[in-house]
Amino acid sequence: MSDILSTSVSGLLAFQRALDVTSNNISNVATPGYSVENANFTPQPGQATAVGYFGSGVSIESVTRSYDELLAGQVRSSQSGYSSFNTYATQAAQIDNMLSDSSTGLTASLQAFSNALQTVANSPSSTAQRQALLSQAQALAQQMQNYNAQLTTYSAGVESQVSASVTQINTLSAGIANLNGQIAAGLASTGQTPNTLMDQRDQMVDQLSQYVSVNTAAQADGSMNVYVGSGQPLVIGSTAQALTAFQDPYNATQHDIGIVSGGSTADITSNISGGSLGGLLAVRSQVLQPVQNTLGQFSVGLASIVNQAQAAGMDLTGSAGKPMFAVGAVLTGPASTNTGTATIAVTRTNLSSLTADDYTLRQTGGAWQLTDKTTGQVVPMTGAGTAASPFLAAGISIVVGGGAAVNGDSFLIQPTAGASAGLSVLLTSPSQIAAASSIQTTAGATNTGTGAVSSSAVTNPGTWVAGAYKISFTSANAYQVTDSTNAVVGTGTYTSGTPITFNGASVILTGAPATGDTFTVGAASSSNVGDNSNAFALVDALSALKLNGATTSLSNVANNLVSQIGVQTQQAQANASAQKSVNASAVDTRNNLSGVNLDEEAAKMVQYQQAYSACAQLIQTSNTMFNSLISAIHG
Amino acid sequence: MRIATITFQQDALSQMQQLQADLSRTQNDLATGKKLHSAADDPSGMAQVNQLNVQLSASQQYVTNGNYATSTLQLEDQAMSDATNTLQSVRDLAVEANNSSLTAAQRADIASQITQQLQNLVAIGNRVDGSGNQLFAGNASGTVPFSQSGNTVTYSGSNSVSQIQIGSSQRMSAGDTGATVFMNIPAGNGTFTTAGAATNTGTGSIGVGTVATPSAWIPDTYTIAFTSPTAYSVTNSAGTVVTTGNAFADGDSIAFNGVQIPVTGTPAAGDTFTVAKAGNASAFSTLSGLVTTLSNTTLTQAQISSQIGGALQQIDNAISNMSNVSATVGARLNSITSSQGAAQTLQLNLTTSVSQISDVDYAAAITQLNTEEISLQAAQQTYASISHLSLFNYLK
Repeated sequence: MSDILSTSVSGLLAFQRALDVTSNNISNVATPGYSVENANFTPQPGQATAVGYFGSGVSIESVTRSYDELLAGQVRSSQSGYSSFNTYATQAAQIDNMLSDSSTGLTASLQAFSNALQTVANSPSSTAQRQALLSQAQALAQQMQNYNAQLTTYSAGVESQVSASVTQINTLSAGIANLNGQIAAGLASTGQTPNTLMDQRDQMVDQLSQYVSVNTAAQADGSMNVYVGSGQPLVIGSTAQALTAFQDPYNATQHDIGIVSGGSTADITSNISGGSLGGLLAVRSQVLQPVQNTLGQFSVGLASIVNQAQAAGMDLTGSAGKPMFAVGAVLTGPASTNTGTATIAVTRTNLSSLTADDYTLRQTGGAWQLTDKTTGQVVPMTGAGTAASPFLAAGISIVVGGGAAVNGDSFLIQPTAGASAGLSVLLTSPSQIAAASSIQTTAGATNTGTGAVSSSAVTNPGTWVAGAYKISFTSANAYQVTDSTNAVVGTGTYTSGTPITFNGASVILTGAPATGDTFTVGAASSSNVGDNSNAFALVDALSALKLNGATTSLSNVANNLVSQIGVQTQQAQANASAQKSVNASAVDTRNNLSGVNLDEEAAKMVQYQQAYSACAQLIQTSNTMFNSLISAIHG
Repeated sequence: MRIATITFQQDALSQMQQLQADLSRTQNDLATGKKLHSAADDPSGMAQVNQLNVQLSASQQYVTNGNYATSTLQLEDQAMSDATNTLQSVRDLAVEANNSSLTAAQRADIASQITQQLQNLVAIGNRVDGSGNQLFAGNASGTVPFSQSGNTVTYSGSNSVSQIQIGSSQRMSAGDTGATVFMNIPAGNGTFTTAGAATNTGTGSIGVGTVATPSAWIPDTYTIAFTSPTAYSVTNSAGTVVTTGNAFADGDSIAFNGVQIPVTGTPAAGDTFTVAKAGNASAFSTLSGLVTTLSNTTLTQAQISSQIGGALQQIDNAISNMSNVSATVGARLNSITSSQGAAQTLQLNLTTSVSQISDVDYAAAITQLNTEEISLQAAQQTYASISHLSLFNYLK
């Protein structure tokens, strides 16, 4: 009878415990990261008798949580992926919106500038039209500066988020290390897993995976090691290693990611992937920097093309055209780790060869080596690096000065990144716009043919040699051009209206010149205020293919940038959306195992409740039996 | 399959959120009328739209340029028409003056009328457009092109004229220089000019002449010298005799090197006439020459007749030159009209293309909106009906 009592009591206790677990499950139905717990019943050992073993009731052997390391890992990796793409897409969308407006975008502004130029060409002596062109030039310069300012703001935002992410990661990894310690101690002292602590730790690792992609390894003592990047340990047992956001050696405003180990910091920026930190680093190198550089390339192109055309023309006062735009210089920075005293001076030399990439110049084995940071390729240089013979490569010229360089010293060269910030209009008066050609062509007084001068302009200021030239017709359809020393500088077959080009100048004649007719080309008269040849030379130059190895126009550069950023944003958005689905599905799968189902708990509750009642009933039965026995004895 | 209660809740919630986001996006498309909000919506479409907008803007600018060129060319055409009328009236006066019955005073009267017309012609040549730019100064649009000193008019404008862009690859002169219109008028018959020496004593008067065989003409200065009223010789500038004649009669043509030149009247022995390669003569110099001829009281009737004949030819040349220029102006105006017509069609096409890429298709968008609305309603209704399903409801 005491068996019945003790067995029933063991049942009562066990079901009470089980109901405790159930009530805890129901209470935590909405708790994030909570894994459903199960009370594991085990029969108590039987009592051996001659007629067999009699069971002695039940006990709760352990309380375990429903958890699968594989499913948890899938949630984390998809969480890192989603977080990375989402951060990327959010940042890129800002740039995309900045560049996309088709009515105020860069291509529209450039076209407005070109249109204003044509309006000046319609009425070259009109100050009002010239003022309109200057205003348009100022608007274009202002727009580039605004873009640059916005990019700087976005970059500063990204940098502060990088620092904040690193702080968060460090807080979480310290928390995980701390929990590791508690879990290991708990497991060692009771032999039972501290489920709540483990849920907390899993949730912290989940949170960590939002910031950066991590790998985990469960240890026998219950602790979990966490690795970042390509296997750099973040948490080992109860020890956390701190990440640090330190200043880039070339650029103090930019942060690199390091891991601090034994007092020294290892740069692991290139190893970081996934999570919001990975997304930020990717958007910085794939969107912000390329956009800044490409906009810079556009600014350099604009200034270079317009200034060159200005130089070839004559302004309203009869003076040679002055530069219209100033543009920011090449940015160079020595690495903060340099130990030598060498310095460099870099200038742009060739618009067509100029790229939107950044470069590093490194002293290697006694020689300087230029590397394209975007492609990682070594770029061959000509020249000796001296002022007399500078290094020439990629449209820039590098002069190395100062003291001696030490092996490993390096410099960052950003040919275009700083250009937009310095884009401004230099002309102060509308009369300074050089709409007129600096040369004019006059028909010979004794010409007998009907040949007339249509226009004459310097179309290639780079090859133009100022001086007096004579176009002589050796027959009705053949001409030769001679310079002041009577040296022949060009010959050709004459077609009415087709430009005669020589030494960078282009002269258009119409009509039918006779044999022996001559046309002289010389400096333009300052009274040619109605001439617009140079304005047209500029209109043509603006749409000419002058960049990227003479394959793209200014407008192409701007338009390609818009569509490139559009594609990157679109891809990031699509990836984020896909990763979100993957993540949702991984979370569902994990929750389906680890989450609480109320119906299940209700059923268990009913089950345990009934069992508890039954056990209580057994005590009642035992009592009845005992009473029966007592009353029988008392008779 | 076991489903966590929280999964059911979260899935229903995230699906409704997604549907709401879709609905908001479609609603935004419909409200703005645009489906292309940024390059990320359709990168290649955005690039196309930018390119098309650039073309559209350029095309609009070409139409503006064309309007400017049209107004300038019309002013030029009007000026040339006025100049032609002036020259025509001078021609009438010259014909009237070429009459042997007129007295010197009557000729002087005609000369003063022609002087008046010369001033008119200079005024026409110095006309300005609406912005104060000279019509006939070419590139030197701020310089008054024609200046008159006495009866001599000089051109100080530019010999080049500025171009106007009326199409992506179409540029044309928005005018003509004063040199083209008034100055560079072919002299004589365009091949050679003729003149009698001032010292001639006979009544011989040389005509303008014609080119019978152009290939035989050798440009040079020839002298026709009469050794008697019927005998003459023609020598070139090197002194070589080209031809001789000894049976000259009044009205005969002297022929050499492919040209024929009529001489009327009776030249005296020792009279000479020159035949020179044609250069250019200005309309002004023709008029001032005529004034000089008519004001000169010492000329013989033959000399007057010969000089007026030459002047009439020059006036005809000037009128013909202006009508030639006027014809090119007309052709340019036509060209502008047709390119503006083409630009309008192009602009319509470009606008349609931009619209096709960036504007919302209302029928499709409204259908989509309805579909999304129904989906959201379904999600909400099913959530509401399923969410209160719980075993606890029955455990009373």
